[in-house]
Amino acid sequence: MLQQVVKTRQHATNSFQLVIPELTVRAGEFVAVVGESGCGKSTLLDLLALISKPNEVSRFRLAFTEQDQTDVASLWARNDENALASVRRRHLGYVLQTGGLLPYLSVQDNLLLPMRMNRLPGANQRVLAMAERMGVTDCLKRKPDALSGGQRQRVAILRALSHAPRLVLADEPTAAVDKRRARLIVDDFRSLARDEGLSIIMVTHDLDLVKSLADATYGFEVTQVAENQVRSICRREPA
Amino acid sequence: MINSGSQRMRVFNLAAAHLRHEWVLTLCLVSALAAVLAPLLILMGLKEGTIETLRDRLVQDPVYREIRPAITRNFDEQWLRQLQGKPGVAFMTPTILPASSMIHLSSGDSDSELMDLVPTDSGDPLLLENGAAIPQNGECVLSSEAARRLGTKAGETIVARVTRSRAGRLETAEERLRVIAVLSTRAGNLARVYTPLDFVVDVESYKEGRGIARRGWNGESARPYMSFDGVVVLSETPLDPVTRTGLVVNTGLLKADSMTAVSFKSLTGLGLPDGWHAYDLNIPAGAVNFSSIKALQRKLRGRGAVVFPYAREMELELPNGQLAVMGLSISAELARKLDWPVPPWGQLSDRALDSGRLLQAVLPNDMFDQSSELQVVFTGVARLELPLKVAGASSLKTALIPAELMGMLRTGVERKVSYQPESGGLVLERAGYRGFRLYGETIDDIPALVEHLRSGGLEVVAEVDAIERIQVLDRGLSRLFWLIAVLGVVGAGAVLVASLYAAVERERKDLGVLRLIGLARTDVFLFPVFQGALIAILGVAIGWLGYWCLAQVINSAFGHELAVGQAICRLPAGYSWLALAATLALAVCSSLIAAWKATLIDPAEAIREE
Repeated sequence: MLQQVVKTRQHATNSFQLVIPELTVRAGEFVAVVGESGCGKSTLLDLLALISKPNEVSRFRLAFTEQDQTDVASLWARNDENALASVRRRHLGYVLQTGGLLPYLSVQDNLLLPMRMNRLPGANQRVLAMAERMGVTDCLKRKPDALSGGQRQRVAILRALSHAPRLVLADEPTAAVDKRRARLIVDDFRSLARDEGLSIIMVTHDLDLVKSLADATYGFEVTQVAENQVRSICRREPA
Repeated sequence: MINSGSQRMRVFNLAAAHLRHEWVLTLCLVSALAAVLAPLLILMGLKEGTIETLRDRLVQDPVYREIRPAITRNFDEQWLRQLQGKPGVAFMTPTILPASSMIHLSSGDSDSELMDLVPTDSGDPLLLENGAAIPQNGECVLSSEAARRLGTKAGETIVARVTRSRAGRLETAEERLRVIAVLSTRAGNLARVYTPLDFVVDVESYKEGRGIARRGWNGESARPYMSFDGVVVLSETPLDPVTRTGLVVNTGLLKADSMTAVSFKSLTGLGLPDGWHAYDLNIPAGAVNFSSIKALQRKLRGRGAVVFPYAREMELELPNGQLAVMGLSISAELARKLDWPVPPWGQLSDRALDSGRLLQAVLPNDMFDQSSELQVVFTGVARLELPLKVAGASSLKTALIPAELMGMLRTGVERKVSYQPESGGLVLERAGYRGFRLYGETIDDIPALVEHLRSGGLEVVAEVDAIERIQVLDRGLSRLFWLIAVLGVVGAGAVLVASLYAAVERERKDLGVLRLIGLARTDVFLFPVFQGALIAILGVAIGWLGYWCLAQVINSAFGHELAVGQAICRLPAGYSWLALAATLALAVCSSLIAAWKATLIDPAEAIREE
């Protein structure tokens, strides 16, 4: 749950300001963030992924259960990078536009990595089971280079889910595949996430892809504030 | 919270997987490192092996364990026995005066050769470690040069001839010696013959006039030879400088100075008669022997000059005080001419040396008390007590004794002289030991033994230099090695820095992803460090393998002249760990820049790079 978070990015003389008045995701929700390129979708994801430090923040909490709550705002205030990394490792999954698989590990090792980093038991069986559901069992022994674009994205989604995080962030996970296949991937993603009971925030420029699946949709309102200054406000779209 | 140790293990596995994935690049780096290491190890191995071999040779060659005195002096037997018992001493034998140990050797038909006779004894490493046994009585061992000159070899018999001159006659004794071995050239290149100490001592005794009954060598007890501090020449005509120079040529003398009446009086206690000129001929810091006086007399024949030897400040001890004495042997006729007291024993002679003539004195008037005999003591090397017949009195302040007696007493300052009442004569005691030949157990014992002897005031000769030369060589080679090593290390370091840095640049996105999925900055820092360490370990392993193979080749190609267990190229086992530690340190240091660079990666930017 975010309230009044501002991130300003400075590029040479141009500055871009992303303002998030409020963003809330409940357990099991599928939230779509839709916008054209340059409106701050990725910036929003980086903030949520705890790898980008907000400039202003009034409230930024990750509350997964009653006991397990993290005040991200105060961690950033302390610059406690190890704690942030620990939260990322345990609770967050991230699907990159281009997969973000480690080229030097096999698909299986890529999938096992987050679980091993969290020392979760039963990792091998879980990977096999998930791979079967995503239809990538054949690829397990291969290196990511040897996969097709669609397979790679499926594996990337699996990796983001493998350690059973509470929140999965997906940055245009289907940008590199054709529309029909993208639809299948997102469907599988959605159903897997629902079975796991985790929340998804998916960024895309393709409203059609997510319209029927999303529990909530956020959009951006971009305004030219000054000559070199752009402000983008992220708001929840009415259902 | 997951403990950081297992996270580091995870990073290590990832770093290893990355190296495996990029195995071509990894192989290049490992090869580059091995290519620096292997020659350095070879160089170090050559240095170590060469130095060790040189040391081994020193250890094996007894010449380097030898200590001998640099000067000739008396060593009493007790001192020598103590030295022999010192820890670190493997063998010691006393030696005699170098001049007494020269001996004529001949083998059958060859001319005789003058060679140095060296005593030996059981356990002599010089002989035993150069392939010879210890000679027993009637046997000898020759150095290779001695065998070459004599044209003889082991198993043959040679003849040793000892010569001496006694009362003007040349005498010879002979002994047949069986050559039991010839030493290798390593034992020294001088012509030497090694025999038991007994034989050497007998040769010396014979030369001094004694008889050796068990060898059938004739002789009596040895009479002390005469020695003087100088000679005074008196002449009625002044001697010009050319004549004076002529007097010191071929007489064994070195200096001829004219004397004033005062200096003449203070030297001799005698007045210089009017019209006579006095000259002092001597050898600075040396003794004048009787043959020099004879040579001088021959040169001055017909000039009417008077020659008489002197000894400075000679005193005899009487029961009631000191008695300054001066030796004077001149004819009565000459004494009257010079207006000096007439000595009853006549003129100087090296033939008439019977004790009845020698042991007399003419006392100053004030000491003359009608007693016919005086018991006096002369203190030279040892205390010498002898009776003197009082032959008269004179107006001089000093007592007069025969010049021959004075000469023998002066010899007592250098050698032990004793009085034998039975024969009634003076006897020259055996010279005793004038040196020694000592071998340490190991070369490492030598410096301490040398230090011990030098601190006792004895200058010694030892091959400490050879040991030090090797140490200097060792230091020089070490310095050279380190120079080359620094060069190699700088090169290897630069390659590692560049490669690891470039790897981080290439891996920006992957490292960003790792940060994204939960690795902390500090974990990412370790990524290049682990990679550097892995490359170092592989590099050392391959470098050591390369070194080992090349060392085998070198040792088999150049090692044929070495003894078993020696090697041209060899490294102590600990060096592999040293090489590993040093390379690891280098690799880790080289990876620090890359590691720092890795921590600067902003995952938000890196993950979107293509």
